[in-house]
Amino acid sequence: MQRDLVIKWHFPHPAEKVWECLTTPALISQWLMKNDFKPVVGHKFNFHTKPIPKMGFDGIVYCEVTEVVPGKKLVYTWKGGSAPDNLSLDTILTWTLTPQEDGTELLLEHKGFKGFKNYITSIFMGSGWRKHIPRRMAQVLNEMK
Amino acid sequence: MRTTLDPFQAIADPSRREILMLLTKDKQTINGLAGNFDMSRPAVSKHVKVLYDAGLIIINNQGRERYCELSPDGFNSVKEWLSYFDKFWRNKLQNLENLLNQHKNEKN
Repeated sequence: MQRDLVIKWHFPHPAEKVWECLTTPALISQWLMKNDFKPVVGHKFNFHTKPIPKMGFDGIVYCEVTEVVPGKKLVYTWKGGSAPDNLSLDTILTWTLTPQEDGTELLLEHKGFKGFKNYITSIFMGSGWRKHIPRRMAQVLNEMK
Repeated sequence: MRTTLDPFQAIADPSRREILMLLTKDKQTINGLAGNFDMSRPAVSKHVKVLYDAGLIIINNQGRERYCELSPDGFNSVKEWLSYFDKFWRNKLQNLENLLNQHKNEKN
């Protein structure tokens, strides 16, 4: 299983414009989700979207800004789950901007998914059950690596 | 209608993890599972229902018995997050690009 999500995207626009879209709440809500973001380390904010019950997601993303390098880098936590006290998704989002001749390269890293795999594997591997795990189950766990 | 539950919530309970462990060995009836616990059969049955609702097990009727079996597909839901977010972010980045293009055009 792939643990991190990394996406590169090229914008034919200057970095300051892209940065503006990443850090201005009214603009963020136009392309991402409704939010109360502030580019201030320690600021806690939420994104609001449609719930996905199948994945145990109540539609609210709980975030906290952990790093701001104006115009270059923005990092915030990205947590979600079925309720505020049951946040099964505990990830980190990093936005890195690199100016280029013809625009800006945006690197989006969404990390921390490995906790899921560890959680489930530890349950199954934890107490000597390993040798009893049928092939099919072992296969599933392997795929989750 | 079958309700869906967060699989993480389902496995947060030690008794339910124990049931899943037992099922890694072989499929079992609810009575068979109940034999491994101090709790009552209805209590075991309730846990089985939670696991079923979370998609972690399947239940097959064979004659008069109901057999519980692990459902690897249920565990796959964990993996769905990554592919979900991959689509999600590509979609959102496209929105962002459109927004930037739009602003540029308005100024020109």
